[in-house]
Amino acid sequence: MDELERYFDDSIANDSGFMLEEGLGLQSPAHSIQDSSYLSVKAQSSTELGEELDLSFLPDELSTQTDTAKAAETQAAAPDVSQDSGICLDYNSQDSTAAVDPQQGGSLQSSASPFCPMTPMTPMTPVTPVTERSGIIPQLQNIVSTVNLGCPLDLKFIALQARNAEYNPKRFAAVIMRIREPRTTALIFSSGKMVCTGAKSEEQSRLAARKYARVVQKLGFPARFLDFKIQNMVASCDVCFPIRLEGMVLTHQQLSSYEPELFPGLIYRMVKPRIVLLIFVSGKVVLTGAKERAEIYEAFENIYPILRGFRKQ
Amino acid sequence: MLSQTCQGCGGSNIVEDDLYCQPQRVCVDCGSVVSEGVLASEPVVGPAVAKKPCLNLIKGEMFSLTMCRILMVHREIEQLSQTYYNKAYQHESFLKVSLQKKEVLAGCCVLVSCRLLNWPITMATILCLINADPTLVGEVYQEMISALKIEAPIVLITDVIETHIQDSLHLPEEFAENSKDLTRCAVALVELAADSWIVTGRKPVPIIMAAVYLAWQSLRPTKQRLKTSLEKFCQIAKVNKYRPAVKRIAEIKEALCKLGKEIPWVREAVTPDNVVQHVEDILQHRYALLRRAMRTHQDLVEQTPNSSSVKHGPHERNDVELNWGKRVLFAPPCVIRAKRRRVEQPELQDVTGDEEISDSEIDSYIRTPQEARDFALTQKMFEKS
Repeated sequence: MDELERYFDDSIANDSGFMLEEGLGLQSPAHSIQDSSYLSVKAQSSTELGEELDLSFLPDELSTQTDTAKAAETQAAAPDVSQDSGICLDYNSQDSTAAVDPQQGGSLQSSASPFCPMTPMTPMTPVTPVTERSGIIPQLQNIVSTVNLGCPLDLKFIALQARNAEYNPKRFAAVIMRIREPRTTALIFSSGKMVCTGAKSEEQSRLAARKYARVVQKLGFPARFLDFKIQNMVASCDVCFPIRLEGMVLTHQQLSSYEPELFPGLIYRMVKPRIVLLIFVSGKVVLTGAKERAEIYEAFENIYPILRGFRKQ
Repeated sequence: MLSQTCQGCGGSNIVEDDLYCQPQRVCVDCGSVVSEGVLASEPVVGPAVAKKPCLNLIKGEMFSLTMCRILMVHREIEQLSQTYYNKAYQHESFLKVSLQKKEVLAGCCVLVSCRLLNWPITMATILCLINADPTLVGEVYQEMISALKIEAPIVLITDVIETHIQDSLHLPEEFAENSKDLTRCAVALVELAADSWIVTGRKPVPIIMAAVYLAWQSLRPTKQRLKTSLEKFCQIAKVNKYRPAVKRIAEIKEALCKLGKEIPWVREAVTPDNVVQHVEDILQHRYALLRRAMRTHQDLVEQTPNSSSVKHGPHERNDVELNWGKRVLFAPPCVIRAKRRRVEQPELQDVTGDEEISDSEIDSYIRTPQEARDFALTQKMFEKS
């Protein structure tokens, strides 16, 4: 029982459910049923209610069922998760009496939903907004987007008629065009497809792409604005403390790559969300590979506790 | 399979009767051909016949074996490296690359095998052996470990030091030093550097070079040794000098000074110029000195009025960032010596992406007809010349 409470009590566990998933993901497949059940419970609780759930009032069978499933997870998860020193859940060597039956864990999946709609009897704790966790918001530095102008273009003509264009067919088969506001660069191809880079926000990228399309229109082409899509977002921030990259690569070997002879930063490939982070000893972090802003924020909130763990000398 | 009975008549009277160059066995009684050989004397190429292994693959394996022999690694590493080379060679990312890249691949296989079997080695050593462009080696290495899905542990710099130090007792007494003491001292210096954030994120070889140089100087801090520059030292040691090593020396000396200041029996000020004499003492009492230094620093920080943890506004964040490096005893050098970034222009606020785009703005990006004519003319003249 204490185990389950502790999961919901601890504020880090509350918001870093994804990180626990990482730790749990390192287990053998045998435990995957329990993992997913645990996560479905967590996901529902943190998104729907977002409050502490005191399940002590539940009838004994239900809680022991949860207990045994959780106990198994705990036992298995403890060695993995404890490496993530960002989590400070203390796993007491509990006399987990339960010889866990995988079927119990499996059945938990179906019985997971009844837990959440129950009214808790303890006072609710409001969930803390995600950004308040670390107090740091990654700043977007670059957005790459693509759009289809929908008609073939004469690049030579564009390079001739536009002031802000450069075209060197021997070097690259596209016109490079720039505008001042928002300060961006576009690659315009003869097929009518265009890539817009350099904007600092999604809206700016869209505005810039529209301006490029307007320039092409003014030059006499029947340009349209089809399938605008953000392809990549790059953000950066600073956690303001130094990070032991050697330590991090030891505990997160599957996801990290640190080769000081090749690159001074650690390359961390987060699975959920699928973001690549470049982590430097100075505490600066670069996040890239996102298609949406939320992915960047989520990735940073996931990595922050891990980084905190490597802060002390 | 040589059958002894004829299928046609059942008789066993079979003779060898070649039809021109095709060997045949014919039944004398009914004349039917019992079996016939192949027309060509060479075996038919088919799945049953072993493929001749690719020459380049063999060459590459030999190359990686040679490297292993030069490095004097043990047999397991040799075998592992050849196995990996074999696997990588067949992999689609490496099957069609240039021979040079395949050579580099062999080097990378040796490197990764050493790492997996805990043999301390740096990429710089491999670079020396295969004499290739570091960028190319890095590229091939990354591609190889991702293609073969290898997770190689990182090399601890302290383990590598030993392999870089040799006995120098054949040198004149002024310069000679026994490798055991040198290693011990250099390892301690590198550990100190690691604690002071000098090692993380940096290439290991310049640090090793700096540590060995300082260790060599401090073991016998005679005037002669102290005067010897890094360049001269590299000449004596017969290695190529690495430019970053000079910076590392300065950084390590700075860290040593911070600890040297805390030595109770030293009256004079400890500066980078005279710190080498105290290195032995500093290393011996490292932890005690570190504790004292941290306490002193703590008192200093508490005394200054700026130590409050007031939250700063976004535009002041830059200063806070720079300050955090100054507020701690040891910080990564890139933080202490942070370069002033170009101040970003104030961002476009509240852009929705659907704003009206003014015609005049777009027109400013388009040439006037006269301009276009001039440009075309200039281009033609340019092309003609």
